Formats: sequence, C-alpha cells, structure tokens
Amino acid sequence: MFREHAASMQSRPSSEAEQLIVRLLKRTMPFQVISEGMLQSVAAVSRPFSYRAGEVIYRAGDKADDVYVVVSGAVDHLLSDTPTTVERNRVMHSGDVFGWAAVLGQDKRVRLATATCVETAEVIRINGAALIERLNDDPATAKVVMSRFATMITREFGAPAAAAQIVAPNRTVSDAPAAVPRPRGHATGLALTLYRISRWLRSPKPFLMLLGFALFLGFWYLSVQVWKLPRFREMPGLTTVFHEWFSKNPTYGLSFYTPEYYQDIWVSVRRVGIAFFLATALGVPLGLFLGWSRTFREYVFPVFEMLRPIPVLAWVPLAILMFSGSETPVIFLTFLASFFATALNTMLGVESIDESYTRAADCLGASKMQVFRHVIVPGAMPYIFTGLQISVGVAWFSLVAAEMVSGQFGLGYVINTSYTMVRYPTIGIGMITLGAVGYVTSALVRIVGDSMMQWRVRELALGGR
Amino acid sequence: MSTVVKAAGTPTSAKAQAGEIVVSSVGKSYGEGQFVKEVVKDCSFTIERGKLTVMIGPSGCGKSTLIRLLAGFEKPTSGSIKINGKPVTGPGKDRLVLFQESALFPWMTTYDNIMYGPRARGEDTKEARSLAEMLLDKVGLRAFRKKYPTQLSGGMQRRAELARAMINNPEVMILDEPFRGLDAMSKELMWEYYSRLYEESGRTNFFITTDIDEAIFLADRLLIMTNVPTQVRAVVEIDIPRPRDLVSLVDDDRANEVKMEALSLLHEEAMKSFAGGSKAAADFIEAYSKRLRTKKE
Ligand SMILES: Nc1ncnc2c1ncn2[C@@H]1O[C@H](COP(=O)(O)OP(=O)(O)OP(=O)(O)O)[C@@H](O)[C@H]1O
Ligand SMILES: [Mg+2]
Repeated sequence: MFREHAASMQSRPSSEAEQLIVRLLKRTMPFQVISEGMLQSVAAVSRPFSYRAGEVIYRAGDKADDVYVVVSGAVDHLLSDTPTTVERNRVMHSGDVFGWAAVLGQDKRVRLATATCVETAEVIRINGAALIERLNDDPATAKVVMSRFATMITREFGAPAAAAQIVAPNRTVSDAPAAVPRPRGHATGLALTLYRISRWLRSPKPFLMLLGFALFLGFWYLSVQVWKLPRFREMPGLTTVFHEWFSKNPTYGLSFYTPEYYQDIWVSVRRVGIAFFLATALGVPLGLFLGWSRTFREYVFPVFEMLRPIPVLAWVPLAILMFSGSETPVIFLTFLASFFATALNTMLGVESIDESYTRAADCLGASKMQVFRHVIVPGAMPYIFTGLQISVGVAWFSLVAAEMVSGQFGLGYVINTSYTMVRYPTIGIGMITLGAVGYVTSALVRIVGDSMMQWRVRELALGGR
Repeated sequence: MSTVVKAAGTPTSAKAQAGEIVVSSVGKSYGEGQFVKEVVKDCSFTIERGKLTVMIGPSGCGKSTLIRLLAGFEKPTSGSIKINGKPVTGPGKDRLVLFQESALFPWMTTYDNIMYGPRARGEDTKEARSLAEMLLDKVGLRAFRKKYPTQLSGGMQRRAELARAMINNPEVMILDEPFRGLDAMSKELMWEYYSRLYEESGRTNFFITTDIDEAIFLADRLLIMTNVPTQVRAVVEIDIPRPRDLVSLVDDDRANEVKMEALSLLHEEAMKSFAGGSKAAADFIEAYSKRLRTKKE
C-alpha cells in the first residue's frame, strides 16, 4: 500500500531548483563524477520534499516508486524484514541515498525498510522508473551509477558496520544517539540527588507512596485493632506502637524520649558501619583481583563460591568460638555476607568491562599496572557501587540475625528481648526504626557512589532529562 | 622512541622513520573442525615505511581481523607478520592501533582521554599539553574538553578518539575505519586534517576503509581486498601529487580512472558475497545486469 505524502509537496522545480538538485546530487555517492548533462536529465525527474520530525516517509511493504537523497536533516532507516539479515538501523544524513528498491525490477519494487524522519529533513525524490529510463540513454554512465548503487546496497546488507555498534551492556548509554549537550553547570552528586528529589516530588510517585503507606498502616490498624483477625490478635496495634513511641514516659522504657532508644540505634549503626567498612576494604580488592587475574581466580574462586551460600546463622557457633566477647562475633557475622556481596559484584564489574577499553589502553602504551588503575578500577566502579548497596542491605539483615543470637544492645537485640519479655509494642518500634535506618544508610551509599562517578552522574542526568 | 613533541610540529626531519610491515602468506581461521571459518587466506602485502597505505574491501571480508593480527592481539594461523624485520609477538609500543570498535574511556573527560597516551608513558610535558590543545582545536572540541564522552554526540566522540590517537607519535599508525559514522562535512574536514598530519609527520600509516573517495583522497597506495577469505586482489599506486585538494580531485582524470578501476573490482567482490548474503541485494544486481544486457542488444 502506498501513501501519497501530504508533506509540503512543492511545485515542479524551476530550472534554478534543478541547478540546486544537480549540485546536491553531485555530493552523493551514486551521482558523483557523472556528466552534467546526465545530472540535469536526472534532476528533471526529481522533486524536492520536506518532512517533519517523526513523519514516516515510507513503511516496509509499501510500493517503492522513488529513490531518496537526503539534503539536510536526518532520516532513520530501519531494515527489519529480510530473513538473512539482522534488524539494522541506520541514520541517513546529508548526501546519503536510500529507497533504492525503486530502481529494482517492476515486481521487486517493494520497500524492505521503514524510513522515518528524525530531524526535519529535506530530501530529493527521484522517480525510480524514470531514473532508469534516463540512465539508459547513456549505458556507460548507467553502469557506473548502478555499480555504485550496488556498492551502497552491499554496504547496507553485507557484514555489519552496524555490528560494530552492538554494544556491551555497560555501554548502552554512551552509544545511544547522544543529544548534543547544552553546556551546563557542574553536576555534582549532591546536585543530582536534589534534582532527583525535586523530580520525584513533581511526579505522581509521592502520592502513590503515601497511598501505599496509608494502605499498609490502615490494614495494620484494622486487622489488629478493629477486626481483630485471628492471627493478628496478639500483635501490637498501630496506635499502641505509636503511642508508646511518642510517649515521654513509655510503659516499656523505649521511645523517642529515652536515651536507650538512641543507644540501641547507635550500637547497631556502629556495628554495621565497622562491618561494612571491613567488607568494602577487603571485598573490593579481592573482587578486583578475582576479575583481573585468571590464575588468582582459579585458586580462590571455588573456595569463595563454596563459602558464599552458607547462611549467616550457620556461622554463629564458629563466630562465637573464634572471637571472644559479644561484640566481635556480631561484627564478624555482619561482615560476612557483605563481604561476599561486595567481592562478587566487584568481580562481575571487572568482567563487564569491554575489551575495547583495555585494548585501547594497551595500544596507547599503558603498562599492566596502569591498565589496572586506569581501566579496571574505574570501569568496575558502577558494579562496585551496586555491590555496596546490596552489601549494606545484607549487613543489616545479618546484623539483626547476629544480635538476636548473641550480643547486647542494638535494634535486633531490642526486638528479640521485647518478644521474650512480652513488651510487644517495642517490637514494632524496633522494626520500623530498623527499616528507616537501613534505608538511610543505603541512600548514603548511593550518594557517595554518585559523587565518585561523575561520569555516570552526567550520563544518568542526561538520560533523565 | 620518538617523542610526542614531534608529532605535528616537525615536518621533513621525521621522514626517515622506520616502520616497514611485511605480511607474508598470512592465514587466519576461527573455530575448529567442521566449524572452521577461514577469514584470511594466504595474504601477503607490504606496508612501506613512510607511506600511507589504504586497504579497501567489501564489508566483512576480514579487514579488522588483519588489524588484530597486526596489532598482536591475535596470532595468525599460518604465515608471518614482521615489523622492521622483527616478528610481531604481541602488542607493542611501535604501533598505535585505532580499532574499529575502540572507545573513549567513559570515566575520563575529553581532555583526559586525549592526554591518556602521553600520561601513560610518563610524558605529560608542556609540549604534549600544547599539542593536546591544538588537537582539541583541530577536531573542534575545545568547548567540550571537560565533558565526558556520554555528553558528546557520536561524531564528536569519533573526533575525540581520533585526537587521542593522533597525539601519539608511533612509528606506525594503524587506523580501522576511523571516520566511519561521521557526517559528510566533518568527514571531509577529517580527511584534510589527517592527510596534512601524515604529510607533516611522514610516518608509516595503514588505513582501512570501505569508502572509495576516502581511499583515493588519502592513499599513496591502495590495497583492494577480495571477499572473505580475504587476500589482496589488486594494488593500485595512487600517484596524485600531494597535498591533494578535494575539489579538484573531483575533476582529476587520474583520480576518476583509479576510482572506476577500484569500484569495478570492489563491485565484483561485493557480488560474490551475495551468494550467501542478502536476497534483496542479489535481486537488485540481477535486475540491473539484465537491464544492461537488454540495453546492449
Ligand atoms: N573471533 C571470530 N570468530 C569467528 N569469526 C570471526 C571472528 N572474528 C571475525 N570473524 C568473521 O570474520 C569475517 C571478517 O570479519 P572482520 O571484522 O575482519 O571484517 P571487516 O572486513 O573488518 O568488516 P567491516 O568492514 O564490516 O568492518 C566475518 O565474517 C566474521 O564473522
Ligand atoms: Mg572491520
């Protein structure tokens, strides 16, 4: 099915316009260096057209009448339905020619691709049949022009220039057609965070979030205190927990107004902090070496993979045997899962680095050590920080497990003792506090990550706009 | 080792640089047993020192494979490659290779990317820095020196990559389709700049392309490659005097003669690839030759 385009079709070109067409044709590959007479003859069967951004010039399956020469702007050419080729996308700019199906034999004049205008484009449309007719007046020139068409088509269908564009996942953003950036102020991690917050506030998300919380709290309140559902009857009710939490004189001795509350938070944060610091200090280098040195990995990785799935609780006896006191075993247990998460993600980060980066560094004369410092470390950074976010999460997870089993003070300890001592509202206070503190630490890691990876900050900020 | 200082500044004195590459009956296959794919077959050619040799061949014929062999990242299955008489055993500082898929480091700004080579070699000198400034101007990226690659358009990234390669002054410079993906205008500017740079430095250059105009504008000699498994199909000496001028080249008889010759060879090779290639393209060729035949009768 062929659509006649409504796009500002212009009247038959005057001879001046024809001269312009001739000049433009000269700049294209198939019509270079051919005689002026022939060009004029071709120009006579050409019409200038313009398309707006977003307009579809033709679709795969349409009847092909015209060959197109791009004068200005950009046209996206998506080749998708030939069985022997992969889907391939090319953007045509000034001087490029597309739509050559129009010069094929009568029965083959069908579009194989879809052409869409991406940037207001001016094109010259040359009627395919008329072009062949004109060219046939001069077989020698016809041969030249046709062989150039052939070369172009080969380029399009042959082994992929586009394959070179197939990108490793960590490069997707850089290979997306980047918008020409407007010069902007210095985007810091903080600026990005603020930007994210302001964008978040303007979106429907805060509303949804409040609604989510309201539903959750409402369900809590109703199920425990109003409906008194069978399984929920023993649970501390919403109002009980909040009343206790905000009470200057709490029944069970824990609220915003008691120093014990802050001491418990502090103890837990400190344990997580130490464990997280150690896990990072040891896990990142281990991960880097695991990813970097094949030999090292052969030695270490199997052991690593065997230890990794062991749950924290299974480590408890060993931890207590190994370390004296109650503090060190808790920190050790908190450290473990974090360490594995960090090391593993760092290793994956190194593996994710595209070989072209290390090759480029090699070629530019970097030593092995320099490749490590300048390519491996920064290249793995995005994964490292993903790993660190997971790591804080599992640190809190293990901390509570450890505090419940051994240890004194801390939020996990509070939750556990509140249960044994039948101070049910305090369980609620402990859990909500844990959630909030955990969220804050994870957000902190993200902010630090953003500020250490300016290049990603920019990348993401650019993508978000 | 030559220093960065000389890269663009000193004209004739550098002419006598070393850097002859001899490729003799090189073969390269991938895979094993019944899955073996021969990409390069009994391929021999010489890249003469101080000359700009351009290789052109159909897409997918094995050009980039040859580059990886020259760079030393892969070893030939048979035959040998020698630089200055010494066999290539691995990547070396005597060659600078700009791979087709080589990329800017996303974690460095444009300027840091360009300065990477000199810094890695401990040559972060005043000269290197001023050369970097000059290159930034040449490739039109001065305003973008502090931007990260993701903030540049595709063409800008390409130009930055080029500057990163050109700041170094190796004996041999090997470039795999460096201007691929640039728009017509900046492509022509880059041709002019690159050929000027070559004329000034006189170092050995090996340049891969699929663009015949680019090849003719740049080359001292042109290697036309066969389809896969690739070999040298023809060597064309392009004896058009330098410095060349794009505009006058359009009407230069010798240039057009070479162009026709090269195009017809390339066309033949391209036709061969249709057997296993695209049906649509094969149809096209068939229709086209039929039309020519009827015309002649
Ligand atoms: N590592 C590999 N394993 C198997 N086959 C390969 C490998 N590398 C390349 N090939 C094959 O070798 C052929 C030539 O590839 P190469 O990239 O050298 O072509 P090219 O001439 O550079 O093409 P282009 O002009 O599109 O860049 C292709 O058919 C490709 O499939
Ligand atoms: Mg290639």
